[in-house]
Amino acid sequence: MKKYILKRVVTAVFTLLVIILILFILMKLMPGSPFNDEKLNNDQRAALYAKYGLDQPVIIQFLRYVGNLLHGDFGVSYNISKNTPISQLIATRLPISVSIGFAAVAFGALIGLLLGLLAAFKHDTIWDTIATIISVIGVSVPSYVFALALSYTFGYHWKIFPMLFSRAQLVKSSVLPSISLSMFTMANIARFTRSEMLEVLDSDYMLLAESKGISGPALIFRHALRNALIPIITVLAPLIVDLMTGSLVVEKIFAIPGVGSLLVNAIQSNDYNVVIALSFIYSAMYIGIMLLVDILYGIIDPRIRLGKSDGEGGGRKKLRLARKGAGA
Amino acid sequence: MSNANAVLTAQAAAYIPKDEDFRLKNSGEELGRDTNFAGQAYWKEVIVRFFRKKSAAVGLILILLITLLAVVGPMISGYTYSAQNLSQKNLAPRIPVIENTGVFDGSETISTTTGSKKTNGYFDKKLTNVYYWFGSDNYGRDIFTRTWMGTRVSLIIAVAAAVIDMVIGMSYGLISGYFGGRVDMVMQRILEVCNGIPRLVIVTLLLLVLKPGMVTIIFALMLTEWIGMSRIARAEMLKLKEQEFVLASRTLGAGNFFIIFKEILPNIIGPIITQVMFSIPTAIFTEAFLSFVGLGIPVPQCSLGSLISEGYNSFTTHPYQIVAPIIVMALLMLSFNLVGDGLREALDPKLKEM
Repeated sequence: MKKYILKRVVTAVFTLLVIILILFILMKLMPGSPFNDEKLNNDQRAALYAKYGLDQPVIIQFLRYVGNLLHGDFGVSYNISKNTPISQLIATRLPISVSIGFAAVAFGALIGLLLGLLAAFKHDTIWDTIATIISVIGVSVPSYVFALALSYTFGYHWKIFPMLFSRAQLVKSSVLPSISLSMFTMANIARFTRSEMLEVLDSDYMLLAESKGISGPALIFRHALRNALIPIITVLAPLIVDLMTGSLVVEKIFAIPGVGSLLVNAIQSNDYNVVIALSFIYSAMYIGIMLLVDILYGIIDPRIRLGKSDGEGGGRKKLRLARKGAGA
Repeated sequence: MSNANAVLTAQAAAYIPKDEDFRLKNSGEELGRDTNFAGQAYWKEVIVRFFRKKSAAVGLILILLITLLAVVGPMISGYTYSAQNLSQKNLAPRIPVIENTGVFDGSETISTTTGSKKTNGYFDKKLTNVYYWFGSDNYGRDIFTRTWMGTRVSLIIAVAAAVIDMVIGMSYGLISGYFGGRVDMVMQRILEVCNGIPRLVIVTLLLLVLKPGMVTIIFALMLTEWIGMSRIARAEMLKLKEQEFVLASRTLGAGNFFIIFKEILPNIIGPIITQVMFSIPTAIFTEAFLSFVGLGIPVPQCSLGSLISEGYNSFTTHPYQIVAPIIVMALLMLSFNLVGDGLREALDPKLKEM
C-alpha cells in the first residue's frame, strides 16, 4: 500500500511540474517584454533585467518561477484590476466557488442516490422509466443550459429566486447555480446507483440475507446499499472534477464573483498573468483530487493497487469509469 | 483384438484412392451445411439488437434528421447565414400556415417597467410577406439559417475531433497494451501525466496562443480527448492478446503490427465505436463552452455554442433567439448518448444495461 501511494504521489508531483513547465513556456512565448518603455536606455534595461532575474539562465528562471508559484506569488494583474496581486484576487473568490461547488455535489449526490434507489427497487415500472429519463436528460444537457432555463423561469419569470448572485442573499441566490451545476452529477450518480443496485439485489448474499429473515430497512441499508455504495463513491470524484468546467459558465451566467468568472473575464480581456495563475490553481486542484481518488480506489479495491485493474474483473469497472470521465 | 485390427487393415488395403478425393470441394452443393443451427452474421445480429431498443432507434433517427437539416437547412430558408438586415432585427418566430393558429405568428410579449405588452414586429413594420421561421437576431439575420449553419459547424468539429481522437487513442492504447513490459510502463506514465492536466486548462491556453478557428478547436479537442479512447483500447488488448487466435497468427509468422491492426483491431471495434459515440457529445459540449467563453469560431461564422452565447445577451427580452440553438444542441447530445448506449448494449449483450 505504501509503495502504491508513493507511486501516485510521485506521478502527481511530476504532472504538476510538467504543467508549470508548459505555463512557463507560454509566459516566454507571450508577445512583448515587461520593459518596453522607450525612455529606458540599455543600461537601465539591463539593470531592470538583473533586478527581476531575467538575465539568469533559463533553468534558474524556471526554478525561481516554480518557487514563486509554490509560495502563492502569481504576480500582478494587468487589466482586470491593475497592479493588484493575483493571489489577493483569488483569495476572495475561491471560497465562493468552492462552497457552491460543494453544495452542488452534495445536492446532486443525494438526489441522484434517491433516484437510483427508486429506479432499482421499482425496476421495470413507471418510476424506473421516469428516473431513467431524468438521468439521460441530465447527462446530455450541458449545465449552462439548465442555468439559463432556471434563471429564466425561476429568476426572471416567477421571481422566486434572485437571477444574480448577491452576498446579501447568500443562501437564496446560491440555490439556482447549485442546482444547475448539480444536474450532471445527479444524473450520473442515479445511473450508476441503479445499475450497481440491480447487480447487488441480484446477488447470492442478498438471497441469503433474505432467507435468514432480514427484511425492510435493515435489508436495504445494511446489506444492499452498503455494497452498492463503494463503486458509487469512486465515481463521485471524477464528477467533482467535471464540475470545474461547468462552473465557469454557470458563474458567468449568475454573475457569481468566483474563480470561474474571473478566468472567463481574464480570457476575454487578455490578462495573461491571471489566466496562467488560474490555470495553475485549477491544475493543482485537479491533480489533488485525482490523487485522492487514486488512493481511495487503492484502499477500496485491492485489485487496482496490485496492478490488476485491467484484467477481467476490474477492467470493466475501470472502463466504465474512464467512459464516465470522458463524458464530461 | 488382433482380429479387429486385421479387419481394419483389410478394409484399408481394399480402398483404392480415386482422383476426385484430391479435388478441392468448393461448390455449394458439395459442401454440407448445418441449416438447423445456422450461424448469424455478427453485425446483422447487432443491428437487430440495436433497433430492438426504441430509444437507440429514436436517437439514430434524430441524428440523421438533424444532419439532414444541417446540410439542406441553410439552403431552403432563402436567407444566408451572414446577411444582415438591420431594419428587420429582433423579430419573433413566424411560420406560414401555423401562424393562423395563434402560435408562431410573430408576436412576442415584452415586459417593461410598466408591465408586459404584446407586440408583433411584422405588423408594426408592415412586413406581411416576411417569414423568419425561428425569428431574427439582433443584426436582422435569420436564426433558422444560422442555427443549421451552426449545427453544421458543430457537427464537423465534433466528428472530426472524435475520429482523429479515435485514431490516435486507439493506436496508442493498442501498442501500449500489446507490447506490455517497459514500453507499456513508459507509455502509461506519459498518459498519466497527460491525464493529470485538466482539459479546460490545455484548451484555454492553446486557444490563447493560436488563432481561433475551426482547425484550432479541432486540434485542441484532439489533444485532450484521446486518453479515454486509449484506455479502452488497452484494456481490450490486454483481454485479447493471450488468446489462441493471436498465437496462431504469430505461429504463422505474422508481424507485430499485422497482429495488432489486422487480427486484434477488428475484434475490439465495437467498444471503440461506442466510445466515439460518447466522445462526440463531449466535443460538441467543449466547443459550445469555448464559444461561450469567447474562444470559439470567429464571427460572422457561427456554431451552436456561439449562437447560444449571442442569444444569452438578450435572453430575457427575446428568449426565442436562444431557444432554437439550445434545443438543437440538447437533442444532438441526447441522441448521441442514446445511440451510444444502444450500441454498447447491442455490441455486448452480456453487459447488463446501465
